[in-house]
Amino acid sequence: MITGWNIFPYFALVAALVGVGAAVFSAKSKSHSVVAQLLAYLSTAVVGLFIVLLWVELERPPLRTMGETRLWYSFFLFAAGAFTYARWHYRWILSFSTLLATVFMVINVVKPEIHDSSLMPALQSVWFIPHVSIYMFSYALLGCATLLSIYSLFCRQSVEEAVDKLLYGGIAFLTVGMLTGALWAKEAWGEYWSWDAKESWAAATWLLYLLVIHLRRFGKGYGRGMCLLIVIAFLALQMCWYGVNYLPSAAESVHTYNR
Amino acid sequence: MKIYISGYTLTTLLLVLFTVVAALLLESVAGSVALDIFAFPMNLILMLLWLTLLVELYRDRAKSVVARYLLSTQATIFSLVALAVGTIVMGLQTEPATTSYLFLALIFFALSQLTMVIFRGWRDKSGVRWLFTASHLGLWLALVAGFWGAPDCKVMRVAVSEEPTNRAIYINGMVTSLDYNIALESFKIDYFDNGTPSLYQADVNIDGKSVVLAVNHPYSPAFGEDIYLTSFEQEGQSVVAILQIVRQPWKWVMFSGILLLIVGAVLMFLRGPRR
Repeated sequence: MITGWNIFPYFALVAALVGVGAAVFSAKSKSHSVVAQLLAYLSTAVVGLFIVLLWVELERPPLRTMGETRLWYSFFLFAAGAFTYARWHYRWILSFSTLLATVFMVINVVKPEIHDSSLMPALQSVWFIPHVSIYMFSYALLGCATLLSIYSLFCRQSVEEAVDKLLYGGIAFLTVGMLTGALWAKEAWGEYWSWDAKESWAAATWLLYLLVIHLRRFGKGYGRGMCLLIVIAFLALQMCWYGVNYLPSAAESVHTYNR
Repeated sequence: MKIYISGYTLTTLLLVLFTVVAALLLESVAGSVALDIFAFPMNLILMLLWLTLLVELYRDRAKSVVARYLLSTQATIFSLVALAVGTIVMGLQTEPATTSYLFLALIFFALSQLTMVIFRGWRDKSGVRWLFTASHLGLWLALVAGFWGAPDCKVMRVAVSEEPTNRAIYINGMVTSLDYNIALESFKIDYFDNGTPSLYQADVNIDGKSVVLAVNHPYSPAFGEDIYLTSFEQEGQSVVAILQIVRQPWKWVMFSGILLLIVGAVLMFLRGPRR
């Protein structure tokens, strides 16, 4: 039967091609391109449609395995790119978001980590969907902010307004994602915060991003140091997201569901 | 002006050195912090003293170097960097070092500095600064509940079978008795088609009252106290449910801190960066 992950490569190919189309149209047009905008929304919708199909087939929200969170990440990257383009008309944002989303879709095509439809009791909670999807959305915004910082590190071009906006949005969502996690932890395990390896890295990530916005408030611009700090914060985020799974400190972690 | 700022930077560096050395010395002499001696009412008394001291410091900020340091941007940056490094170290360790002197000293410093910043910043000429106040006061409440409330947090385990029991065991092995009796009425496990468990549920009786416990569905018998189903043991035909009882009197302080922080995050998203 052709369902679920088997048909994902086709969806990924279409989404990536439409995304590239959006990137080309936006890069070529000096003002806001309606065609690029529509194509950007379309690429988001294609990934969204696959998520819906997968959800229906699995009979549970596809938010559990690494492969499934990567799927959401590509979805939110397309969405974040499309919305940023709609709001601030940055010509290059769609190239970035398409590139990053495609990387994550390719990883999923190569290594889909297919799982069955059972959702263990620990994950059956009202907090499950908001906690993971809010986090994924914030990762997408912060991913865009990081790419822009790297871009400005090498191209010496001012990206201040865009990075500020992406960072503020990303950190706001990161905060809510972390706190829904704390509320869920109290309900599931009895402690809001127990300094589990994943929680420690989440705290470190959050603190590094707080450092960035405080430095901005204190008047520091996007020089070399600031851009590096944003990259470091994003590396901490990678540790929190999947890096901890490979650490010995996570051997006892209550956050590893996909092994 | 330049000397002034570098003086603060120097203070920060000295502070780092002093904190690290003092904490490492204490740790090598005394091991980790024994939280029990700070349990209620000790924590409340110390907390009120600490707050009074900070209020006095803030009033005296024109003259006090300490107050001015705590209110400086360097102190904020120091707090954030130190805590970030501390949490990264914690993330690399197998055992979380929540009772290490160094970690507690860092939290204490950050919390004191945060308190002073809140005193100063909650309003300006144009009125109350909602975003600032919500996010900083939210973090303050959460940290206060976590830091000063930690000694009051008690975790117990109860093994419940058909016979009513009030015997609970603390994490450190000490036995205590509860104010109520718990008995297991029935224990249920459901499975998905592929054989993995889909539901663990314990129907228990607490002093005559029937209560359903399941994973993610605790029951609160008293203020700040919650009962969780954490595990079960099969003994022949009968099942023993392992319940965890968490007594956290500061639960709602933490909760309100988290809510305020969420309000702050939403405001932050709506307003975006100020230019």
